[in-house]
Amino acid sequence: MSKVTFDSLRWLEQPAQVTVTVNGGPPRAYFQATSPRDAAALCKGRLVEELPRILSILSPAHHLCAAQALDRLFNVEPPAVALNMREALRRVLFVRHFLRKFYFLASSQESPFAELRSREVRPGKRDLHGVVQDLSRHLSLAQEAAIILGGRADHPVTAVAGGVSRSLREEHHPRLAEIAAACRDCAVRLSAFVREDVFPAGKLLADVQDIAVGPLASLSLAPEPDRLILRDAKGKELERFATTALFDKVALQREPWSYEPFAFLKDKGWKDLAAGSAESLFFVGPLARLNGGEAVATPLAEAERLRLVEAMGPFPHGGVLAAYWAMLVQLLEAAEVLVATCEVEKLSGPAPRTIPTALGQEGHAALESPQGLIYHRFRADERGVVQEAQILDAATANNALLALLAQRAVEEPVAQSKPWEVARKRVELSLLPF
Amino acid sequence: MSRPGQKVKLAVHTATGCRACEQGMLDVNNEVSELGRFAEVVFWPYVLGTPWEAVEGGVDVALFAGAIHTEADRQAAMKLRERSKILVSVGACAAFGGLPGLVNLAPPAEPAVAATESEDKPTLPRTEPRALALSQVVEVDYVVPGCPPTQNLLWAATLALVCRGESPARLSYSVARLPEAVAEAITSGVLPPRGTVFAGEKAVCGSCSRVKEEKKSGTCKRPYQAYDLTGRCLLEQGLVCQGVATQEGCGGLCTGVGVPCRGCFGKAPAIMDPGAKMVSAIASTFDSKNAQEIAGLVGSFVDLAGTFYRYSLPSQCALLAPRRG
Repeated sequence: MSKVTFDSLRWLEQPAQVTVTVNGGPPRAYFQATSPRDAAALCKGRLVEELPRILSILSPAHHLCAAQALDRLFNVEPPAVALNMREALRRVLFVRHFLRKFYFLASSQESPFAELRSREVRPGKRDLHGVVQDLSRHLSLAQEAAIILGGRADHPVTAVAGGVSRSLREEHHPRLAEIAAACRDCAVRLSAFVREDVFPAGKLLADVQDIAVGPLASLSLAPEPDRLILRDAKGKELERFATTALFDKVALQREPWSYEPFAFLKDKGWKDLAAGSAESLFFVGPLARLNGGEAVATPLAEAERLRLVEAMGPFPHGGVLAAYWAMLVQLLEAAEVLVATCEVEKLSGPAPRTIPTALGQEGHAALESPQGLIYHRFRADERGVVQEAQILDAATANNALLALLAQRAVEEPVAQSKPWEVARKRVELSLLPF
Repeated sequence: MSRPGQKVKLAVHTATGCRACEQGMLDVNNEVSELGRFAEVVFWPYVLGTPWEAVEGGVDVALFAGAIHTEADRQAAMKLRERSKILVSVGACAAFGGLPGLVNLAPPAEPAVAATESEDKPTLPRTEPRALALSQVVEVDYVVPGCPPTQNLLWAATLALVCRGESPARLSYSVARLPEAVAEAITSGVLPPRGTVFAGEKAVCGSCSRVKEEKKSGTCKRPYQAYDLTGRCLLEQGLVCQGVATQEGCGGLCTGVGVPCRGCFGKAPAIMDPGAKMVSAIASTFDSKNAQEIAGLVGSFVDLAGTFYRYSLPSQCALLAPRRG
């Protein structure tokens, strides 16, 4: 039996590796999260109002989700300006996340730290290094907007129970509007580049065009408040249920070879991943959000979604290529919404926070983060000390999907006795858009 | 390793933590592309997917983020120490244990994730009994604190340790606001003294924009309650704000947006234990001489360990911190 480990995979938000074992038959790939990340354990015993700052260790969107759960726990309704500021921050996080993913994709063929100035730029031809530079520049702009709105880009601090901790300064308004417009324009340029130079030509993504998982169910936030939609592998709505029922429907399976548990649908029961059955699995994220086949509300994003449908057929999709395209659609949507949100009157107002009058004991919230659906439920005692925290992170929800993708990605190279580096690159490029 | 005139060989690694420090390095105001002029990034698994063999030839500067929480983290720390001329703790996790260090307050987890070898299934790196800071495992040359480090300090460290005086003036925008030793290092090209913390020289209160009136509050306020979001010192309003015990360098980032400091830059240089300093600072805001009243007030402070040592429990809590060995 041979065993190969792709140590520290590129671009993943949590350190992970893939171990491939070959024992005569087809290979078996294990996607392993190699760092413990028990966020619920960090929360227990803390003051409940501190959770937005603590849970940002998972991702900045958890900061917003925890604040939303606190609104409910303290039974307060944030003022409209605070809700707009939180929404603007959420959209900035989308923009930053997807720009970074495309930055990684565009720089996947060589080091992004090579000395760019000495590069030969071919006139008249869209240059990949120019795209990397463009993405890098707008990543830093999105980061600046996140700092304006969140106090910090990562580990933001401004969302608090009942709203946000402070109003924006006057000079922030034009700057946010400027950044939002620049990011939208960058997204439009990127979409043209990806559509014309990457998808049809297979450039950058040639190695992963054939990789797909599925059919696989998907879970996303419903348009109405506090409801989730579970869709089957054909995109048909199976169930619409209250967010509080999430852990009645979803359970977590722990395996001794990964620090991240695997989320699965309780009523279908856990099936060993090695069996290859995806019946009890689901996924979240950009592609899951589009798999219902509904139109997107903003024009540029909807036009991009229709191009996807024209090229790849109607939703649902489970392929890696479709996942990259879904990111593009949602990057455009986030940038368009950001432009609409960053208007002076929407982000101006005297009272950014409704002051809670009493401690509550239970709060919950679900939110679509760039990575996918996330959920928090906190229970506190009469002093406001956390007794229990239930948390679903997109990394947990998609852990099984990533494991299946890793499996698919290594099968062909191993069967064709290709170098391990080929299999590794296929794994990394397959996992990047999820 | 590089010789004079050659590019500096750079390594970047994250142990247990999030990717915020690495993302901060990527997002340093678009200057990251300039790094190629000064440094050859030989090892950065998150961005380049480079294997550990890449550090065998030696590294000039290794930036290490994340706490030490698994045996793989420990091995990574030892490997990078052994192969690097300069090892830098980047971020609160590597510098002090960070948020992952709070796990030391929780009861020991069940060994649900066993490291048992089976014939075809892979193993996992074992969890250490306690989360640790990098300096509790190996010797560290420099520290860039913060959760995550602010961009100007991160870039200042890069300028001082990687570019070493070769950087054009336009890259040195942060020099004017830096501690003298760091600013000198950036402009002269001479390394700052070993052990330098890329942060300010005083406590956060020194650069906080809020007004301190030396008034007694005699109350304990929680951040969800009403307080003046701008203007008055948060500690004097009765909130637990750790600016007085925390090393300056962030520019009062949290207090500036109306939330109390939680100490992500670690303790200020003159302080032995941030928790003890906070007890003293909070007590100084009490004005009562009534034992019963004081007892009631003290009882209203909850989860002090999880608050005072939010980012530094493994290494800066004098009662709990184990020494390297």
